[in-house]
Amino acid sequence: MSAALFQTTLYAALAICVAGLLWRISGWFRIRIGPDTQLITLSQRLGALFRGVVAALFGGRVVHFFGALVLDVLLQRRLYANAKLRWLGHLLIVAGFMLLLLMHALAAVVTVKLFPGYESTRAPHLFLRNLFGTMVVVGVALLLFGRWRSRRRTGLVSVRRPMAAAFLALLGFVMATGFLLEANKIASPQAFYRMARQSSGTADPTELKPLRAVWASEFGVAFDDLKEPIAAEVMAKGREMHEDDCASCHANPASAFVSYPVARALAPLAGRLDAADADTWLLYLHVLACFLGLATLPVTRFYHVLAAPVSLLVNGASPNRESSIAARASRRALAVDACVRCGICDAHCSVAPLARYLGNPYLLPSHKLIATGALADGCLLRSGHDGESRLVAEGAFLCTDCGRCTSQCPVGLDLADLWPAGRGDLVAAGLPAPAQRVQARPALAWAESLEPNSPSWQHGVADPDACYAPLSTDWLSFSRCVQCQTCTNVCPVVAHSTSPEQGVDLTPQKVMNLLRLGLRDLTLGSRMVWDCAICYQCQEHCPEGIRVADIMLELRALGMRRLGTVRSGSAPT
Amino acid sequence: MTGVRRDSYDVAVIGAGMAGMAAALFAAERGLSCIQIGSGGGILFASGLLDLLAVHPVAEGRLWQSPYAALAALARGEPDHPLARIDPVSIRTAFESFVAALTSAGLAYAPLGDQNRHVLTSIGTVKTTFGVPLTMVAGANMLAADDRPPCLLVDFRGLREFSARQIAAMLADRWPQLRHHRIEFPGREDVPELYAAHLARALECAEIRERTLARVKPLLGEARAVGFPAILGLGRSREVHAAFEAELGVPVFEIPTMPTSVPGLRLLGALEAVVAARGVRRRHQASVRSLAFDGDTGMAMLELEGVPGGERVTARAVVLATGRFSGRGLTADRGGVRESILGLPVHQPASREAWHQRDFLDPAGHAINRAGLRTDAAWRPLEAGGKPAWTRLFAVGAILADQDWMRAKCGSGLSIATAWAATEQVALQLGASAAG
Repeated sequence: MSAALFQTTLYAALAICVAGLLWRISGWFRIRIGPDTQLITLSQRLGALFRGVVAALFGGRVVHFFGALVLDVLLQRRLYANAKLRWLGHLLIVAGFMLLLLMHALAAVVTVKLFPGYESTRAPHLFLRNLFGTMVVVGVALLLFGRWRSRRRTGLVSVRRPMAAAFLALLGFVMATGFLLEANKIASPQAFYRMARQSSGTADPTELKPLRAVWASEFGVAFDDLKEPIAAEVMAKGREMHEDDCASCHANPASAFVSYPVARALAPLAGRLDAADADTWLLYLHVLACFLGLATLPVTRFYHVLAAPVSLLVNGASPNRESSIAARASRRALAVDACVRCGICDAHCSVAPLARYLGNPYLLPSHKLIATGALADGCLLRSGHDGESRLVAEGAFLCTDCGRCTSQCPVGLDLADLWPAGRGDLVAAGLPAPAQRVQARPALAWAESLEPNSPSWQHGVADPDACYAPLSTDWLSFSRCVQCQTCTNVCPVVAHSTSPEQGVDLTPQKVMNLLRLGLRDLTLGSRMVWDCAICYQCQEHCPEGIRVADIMLELRALGMRRLGTVRSGSAPT
Repeated sequence: MTGVRRDSYDVAVIGAGMAGMAAALFAAERGLSCIQIGSGGGILFASGLLDLLAVHPVAEGRLWQSPYAALAALARGEPDHPLARIDPVSIRTAFESFVAALTSAGLAYAPLGDQNRHVLTSIGTVKTTFGVPLTMVAGANMLAADDRPPCLLVDFRGLREFSARQIAAMLADRWPQLRHHRIEFPGREDVPELYAAHLARALECAEIRERTLARVKPLLGEARAVGFPAILGLGRSREVHAAFEAELGVPVFEIPTMPTSVPGLRLLGALEAVVAARGVRRRHQASVRSLAFDGDTGMAMLELEGVPGGERVTARAVVLATGRFSGRGLTADRGGVRESILGLPVHQPASREAWHQRDFLDPAGHAINRAGLRTDAAWRPLEAGGKPAWTRLFAVGAILADQDWMRAKCGSGLSIATAWAATEQVALQLGASAAG
């Protein structure tokens, strides 16, 4: 490969990569998520960053910082706790990739210093390159399998990632060309002659015949002019030549345990590949694909190699809850940026069943996170897609703030801080909580327009009740209620209610009673249904084992769905 | 990644009512590893008062001042009654350890002694009972005093389940010096309906407590004790009660409200803490899908549902504490009464016509209320042939036949005493099989 082309493309790729990274990192200080961050200036955010870095490195929390570096970043303990198979896959990729980068791509800088007399053909490098490449490929396979299995188990939809498939294809291409390049070199007579010239000082086929015979029969070089059987003394001479000239600098090619079988398979084509100069163009493809990966790093999945460790270190060094608004502003933007879309949060999300019933993926943390970022960025509203914004709002306001996403996130994102901020942005953008709309009027005023057959229903809307697990209509789920009031007695929302205007109208046991009377629609506009904290105290305590909180959440989801179909003009006034 | 869990225990207690909790507690105190399956929600219907035995014979409605004298009479009149089959010394020990455990969890009881006490109820009647929480005992003492000293009952506007005026009116003849007064609960002046547990929790806050006491103090007058609905704290009732007595300068007592009540929540909380502290594994949202015994080893295999991913448990012994009808240990339909988990033979009236007397309020009670499992001397339910159904299956509490605990006022006594006696047998059986 010509040095000029190599350097030009390398520096161009590096320049694009750095520019892209700078743009993305600037987002951490540019993007504002949450109404409380709107007045924070850039200088305040940079000041908070400076103070944070100083405190992390020189303050009392330096131990936490290095603890996070070792346990969270290097050992990935959060991923280990959650998904051991994917943890193993991730570890294989990280180790394989880093070793390839240092020992292979940067061999001229790194490996030569560690291994005196380094040659790429020497043991163990021939074997190691194959090993590292295999680690990456197996790791990717494990990750994909773990992800597929988790999705199959939860039945949840994944975030759409157009760049992910392209990136995966690029990574696969780099790996495949790497293995092929190595295989081609093993099988190629041309490569043999080039190396023979270096080590024996001659490239004369006749003179080299004994050596060629040995390399053809024992090391997989595909000469097309060695068809006849070789005499034993020629072989012996060849082995002698091999010991003298080759063995000291060249490991057995079979130690390249992936490329060698490929080379054997390629043997019939070796002559044609040599004629086509495959050695050169495979190298070009391999190197240029690597440079393409470098240039596109800021927009592909590869970006998380930077963002995720930063997020883990920041959160490990100091808890988000203890930081200033200026710092939190940047940390929220970083959280949106550092998400790796692994979907582990979705699998633990309390309202994931509702996401399935409602068919609205924006209830799921991984989807909601992207929408939160898009809203702050302005893309969501600019897209002009009203239905999309409404789905985002529905998802955001059905969240119960249970905090399980935060506790499970392998990147340590403080999602529990992000969600209220995102809801604030939705309200500011004119997409207020449905609960506020409902609670502006008493339950009875809503009862009629939320009835399924009321004239205010738009035509052509599919029956919104059809997609529910029918707890609230299945009499078996609430008929055991004995109206003992335990649910009301343990309800923190009822306990908090201090005046009839602001307080709950129906207590939980009254909601259950309305269900028993077949008056479900009357509950849909009640404050209890919309104020319920879904804390599950009622459900935990119910002496009859009724799923009170699950029913409340279902009623709210049903109300939400009906609300979306009530024409704004026909809502009660 | 999440397979079905399999764990092994000495004892599996099925049921988490009074009998199940007592069995788990006593089994754990005997050093047996124990898993408990079932919701403790039934305990919410309890008042915190622990009956031992107040009425015998039921048909006569005769009240006993001494529960131990009542037990002796029971042993003569109803020798098949579960309480008649346990010696009184064991019953006394069982009660002492049960109450000591509750006290250790912050729910203190007055010393038990030999006598029943008389406690005011929220509708103004008097209940004869044995174990009385410390927060309620002053009322019993006042009622027991010959002179019935002047006392004050306080209730709260909006707490609809408790009327001091009604209690005073009901007792007007016996206790003329019992005054009543209604006050506003501080901070809830605008709330139309109040709920006991919320007030109980609010009173654990010192500021609310002080504002409440400031409203009570001017009403004291001659009163030598003050009664309140049972809302003096939830988990910290001892502290709240002590603060009330210190500030008011006279004994303070609670009167249990209608079930489900704050004392029920306290009792459930204390029992959950008690068994958890002794290492009992609880599966409080699970139920038993199937129970089978290995014919060779006698090991019980339980399959649970209501646990994420399901759970299989093996146990060397099983204690059935699933209760009667409301606990769903027994199921009644037109064909008769069945035991819900294993289909064990239920001792019951021969036909459905014989379930009830002609008069619903007949003081003798109904035959169906004496249905249940009959056991051998070691508390093992019998199969049809009269032999124990399984070597290491035991039954305790309300599921046992030949008792009408509601009318005899012996519910807690039945649960605690049979749990004590049966866990003693469990330990004997397991010790014997370990030795053998």
